[in-house]
Amino acid sequence: MSSMILEAQTGMQTKPNPGLFKRNPPIAGEAEAIERAKEGDPDAFSKLYALHKRRVYTLCLRMLGNVSEAEDMTQEAFLHLFRKLGSFRGESAFSTWLHRLTVNLVLMHLRKKGLNLVSLEETINPSEDDAPKRDFGSRDQQLAGSVDRVTLERAVSSLPPGYRMVFVLHDVEGFEHNEIASMLECSTGNSKSQLHKARLKLRELLRNPEQFAVPASGKEGV
Amino acid sequence: MSDSAALNHSPEIFDNMTPAEFEERLPDLFGIGNGKVSEDPRFAIFLEKNPDCAALVRDLEIIAETAAKLFEPTEDQDPADSVWINIASKLKGESSSLDEPNSTFE
Repeated sequence: MSSMILEAQTGMQTKPNPGLFKRNPPIAGEAEAIERAKEGDPDAFSKLYALHKRRVYTLCLRMLGNVSEAEDMTQEAFLHLFRKLGSFRGESAFSTWLHRLTVNLVLMHLRKKGLNLVSLEETINPSEDDAPKRDFGSRDQQLAGSVDRVTLERAVSSLPPGYRMVFVLHDVEGFEHNEIASMLECSTGNSKSQLHKARLKLRELLRNPEQFAVPASGKEGV
Repeated sequence: MSDSAALNHSPEIFDNMTPAEFEERLPDLFGIGNGKVSEDPRFAIFLEKNPDCAALVRDLEIIAETAAKLFEPTEDQDPADSVWINIASKLKGESSSLDEPNSTFE
């Protein structure tokens, strides 16, 4: 288990990692709010919620693909944060620490629901129909210079759960393969392979948007 | 194949790969360095000779670059107000049980 995962699961911090601050620069007023919240100041905790609710909720929504479950997990993440905040020592970016805590809670939730993530390859690998086709595709259909974020969000939400999980953790959240492997209890090679298949599947979806999954009612996410 | 093993060859090896061999190595190749296979000089000749592979690489890089932009959510991605109401209510209960008179979550 990597030190970062251990840190998020137990609330204990190990060594600082300066690289973690690159994507999560400190937010003005955040450090003070953390210290005050540790002392039990409810306004300070409310401020931390206001600063981080959107990212935490979006992360839950992308991982779960369901609005009500994402809201429940957002609630759980902040309740957990309240209980664990005293162990945060500022040795990594607060949002990185919070995101790890959230990811671990979501994974625990999925395991409780019966989605066994122990063997990623065997248990949440998509069916043959869902797997990306093993060809290079026509060059005429290549993606334009950019893909807009709304379209990509829709394509991501159409991915099979195993692909979506690894794609969100790596390409959106910026976790490394060894960290994802620890979180999902799979090999680093497995994480790389799932990510590659996820990107291939997204390419296929983006070239054929009619394949996007249609959300069932307004409760399905992103 | 490990990260190091994936690139632990002379450049000529990469020039003469088949598209299938290239695709087999692609998950590892994307995991090395900054993940920009299209900018790695070791694959320049191969990608020039195999435009389908070059198109695939370019598309996958566009997807990864756009995904990184999703990290910062848009303003319409807030949770419902009820989420904070529930959190505050539960924390109020926990604070009371912990006997912390200063904690008043509203």
